[in-house]
Parts: sequence; C-alpha cells; structure tokens
Amino acid sequence: MADNQTVGETLASRGISRRTFLKFCATMTSLLALPPGMAEVMAETLARTRRQSVIWLSFQECTGCTESLTRSHSPTLESLLFDAISLDYHHTLQAAAGDAAERARVQAMQDNAGKYLVIVDGSIPLKDGGVYSTIAGHSNLDMLKETAAGAAAIIAVGTCATYGGLPHANPNPTGAVAVSDIIKDKPIVNVPGCPPIATVITGVVAHFLTLGTLPELDSLGRPKVFFGDTIHDRCYRRPFYDQGKFAKTFDDEGARSGWCLYELGCKGPTTHNACATVKWNGGTSFPIESGHPCLGCSEPNFWDAGSFYQALSAKTLPLSAHAGAALAVGAAAGVAVGLVSRAKKKAAARQHTRVSADDLEKGGGA
Amino acid sequence: MSGLEHIGVQVVTAPQDGARSYVPALLREIEALLAELVASGRHGRIDLRSLPLLPGDDARLAALLGNGEVDAAIQAMGGTRVRETGVAGVWWVTHANADGETVAEFVEVTLVPEMLKTHPQDARTGLARLRERLAELTHEGETDG
Repeated sequence: MADNQTVGETLASRGISRRTFLKFCATMTSLLALPPGMAEVMAETLARTRRQSVIWLSFQECTGCTESLTRSHSPTLESLLFDAISLDYHHTLQAAAGDAAERARVQAMQDNAGKYLVIVDGSIPLKDGGVYSTIAGHSNLDMLKETAAGAAAIIAVGTCATYGGLPHANPNPTGAVAVSDIIKDKPIVNVPGCPPIATVITGVVAHFLTLGTLPELDSLGRPKVFFGDTIHDRCYRRPFYDQGKFAKTFDDEGARSGWCLYELGCKGPTTHNACATVKWNGGTSFPIESGHPCLGCSEPNFWDAGSFYQALSAKTLPLSAHAGAALAVGAAAGVAVGLVSRAKKKAAARQHTRVSADDLEKGGGA
Repeated sequence: MSGLEHIGVQVVTAPQDGARSYVPALLREIEALLAELVASGRHGRIDLRSLPLLPGDDARLAALLGNGEVDAAIQAMGGTRVRETGVAGVWWVTHANADGETVAEFVEVTLVPEMLKTHPQDARTGLARLRERLAELTHEGETDG
C-alpha cells in the first residue's frame, strides 16, 4: 500500500547510505544526459519526496519486462528505484492475491488520485470484447481505462505495450493493440524493447520523480535521450561497415574478426535503442557484441519485418553495391542504405515473410 | 567456468584514421573550471561518458593529469574510486556496479568530492547507532556487576 515515508526515510530504514544514493543519482544524471551538477540536486530532492505511488499493470505479456527490471544476482543501483517508489500493485511481485490485490489497486487510485504513475507491460486484446485476457473478471481494456483515468502519466514498457509486440503480429488473433491506441488523454512514454533495458525504465521513472516532467520524446513516443540514435549509429562495429567488411556466415573469418553483421540480417540501421551504449547484463555486452545481429526488437512490427537472418537490403540491391557505396562515401552511404532498408522492411511486413529452418541454418543473408 | 574463453573469437579494433582527440579541449575546460574554483569556490564536474571520446582518450587524459596524493575506495553497491589527480583540486571519480562494470565516470573540480563527505543524515543515523551500542555496553556492565 502507499505510505507516507519519504525516500530518504526509506533508505535509512533499509540501511542504505545517502552516499550510495548519491552514486545512484550521479549514474542517473549521466544516463539522462542531465547537467552533471544535477546529481546532488536530484539526491536531495528525491530524499525529501514522498514515495511515488506506482500501479503496474501486466496484460498480454511474458513477464520478460518485469524480469529485465528485477532479475539480478546482486543488489544493483537500478534496484534502488524500488526504494524511491511505492509499488502499490503488481501481479508478479505483490504479496496480496485475489480480491485483496484488486483492493490494493483501487485504494492506491483513491489515495493518489491524479498523482500516481501507471506502468503497463503487455498488449491489450480488443477482439471479441477483450475476452482473451482478463484479470479478476475485468478485461484488460476496462482495467486500463479505469486505472489510467486518474493517472498523472503512463509509462508503456516493452514492445507489446508500446506497439502491440508479438500478440499484434500477423494475423493478430486477439486483436492486440498498444496502450497509446486506447489512451489518448494522458501523457504516455514508450519504452520499447523485447525486453526493454532496465536502466532505461529506471531513468524515465527517475526523471519524472526528480523533475516532475517526462523526458523529451521522439515521434514514436520514446525518450530521445535513449532512442535518439540507431544501434548502427553507435555500434562499435560501424567502422567495419564503412570499410565494407562483413561477416558472411556465423563462423567465417569475418565473424571471428568481429566484422559487421549487416549481411547476417542485422537490423541495427533501422533500430533505435540504447543497447550499444547502455548494454545488457550489468553492462557486459549487447547482442552484436556477442556475435548476433540486432533483431530490431524496439521497433514497431518487428515480428512481421521478415526473417531475423535476412539482410535488410537483400534482393533489393546487391549487397556488394552497398559495400562499394559505403567505402566510397562513408556515412552518406549509411543514410542511403538506411532508407533502402526501411523500404525493404515495410515490404517484408506487408508480405509477412516467415522464418524457416533454412533461415536459421544458412549463413548469408542475401 | 564454461570454457568460453577458449572460443577463438578475436575482436579487431578499427583504425581511427583522421579522428581528432578531445583531450586538448577537455584540458582547456578543466582549466576554466579550476580557475572558477580558485576565484569563487564554485565546483564543477565533467561527465566523461557523455562525450564521444576516442578509444584511448580517457587514458591519455588521465596520464596528462597524473596522480595526486589521495586514492580512496568506496563500497556503495559496487566500488567507487575517487582519485585526486596530479593537479590539486582536480579529481577523477569512477563508479562501478556490483559486477565491477564502470557505470559512470566524472572529472570533478572541487576541494572535496561529494562522494567522500558523510551526509548529515548518515551522521545522525551513525550517532543513533553509537548511542544504542553504548546503551548495550552500559546494560552489559550493569548485568556483569
């Protein structure tokens, strides 16, 4: 339930020093590209603030988004977020069950009307009256509308909540839609990804708690500070792309030398996310660094955008032409390829190319 | 372990021909911040992670600034290292997570970095804890006596 403790009091009761909290805030200001001197201001402001009531709604989802945020073998700085909020409702994490759980949600809505944050993971099925996903007898649609009505803002986490995700993939049997397809009168921040990066979720919440505002968003409702660049823009393998050096299979000399994975189906040129800089697993690496092409999981309709292992430009332009162009004019060629790639992606989405065993077996994308 | 280290993957760093180092510009910024500190006592901070540094730029900057008298290690949900550089008043602060990965890195221009100070609230908590222990000792003494 919501409580009246300040964040500072909560930290003290859990034996977490203000020095540790300052470190958390310094990390957040760096991530959010705020002025470095904001760390102390953020720490002092947050410490005096009553813990923010948060209602987390999980609809048609796999719980991967929650796993991304909570799974860790050791306490992390990100986990400090849970000391700065009052998580009043969350199916997976709350102790209460059944009617008691639903009462907790209603109570939090009443106690914090107009002030609480709603975090949503999962898409919302609309077909056949929304019968394909219900909670305590309520359709996801009804629960979202009821809960969103008194919210200060909504954060849609994961590609299902932001764009429909896997449930929305062709033929979309449940009529799944995104939060923004339903809620039109509340500020919504989209944090896509399958799953989304925990640090990005933490950063958006910390921004709201500290500054009382939501971060600047792009045309798809994503925070620009995390989704302003493509994976390709920030990829450490980008120089190999510019030099026309590509891995042709997963075990050739190019792959062993760490060359660009574009021909193996990498969707980095059309995918906006922070994986290449924030990384995964405690900053260890991200898929491309582990030798696998980017799947493009933070973009709308990525499940319907063709095989994960087919190059974006395959059958549209000979790849050797791309490589030659890239060698000749570098970044300008990258932009051109990006445009061609997006066209290819849309065409693939229309045709809904299915992944076959051959796709998984073969090395080359073209 | 899994033996992953035996997989023959060799990552080659691409050459950075034609790219310009940011170190000279950074040194100028540090100079300006230090002059401000000396003149007015106002402290400054540079977020090294927010800059498009070239590989090796951070090491070059660190080498140019040198080593000072203070090298402090803090354990706060992962290690934090606070080093005074060879330029007094210029500090290098590196925050790592519990797995030892660097999550933030700053050059701070200040007399004492905030991370080294004890927060007044923590001092109050410390005082309460010390008094509890004193009370326990007193109680034990009375019981023994």
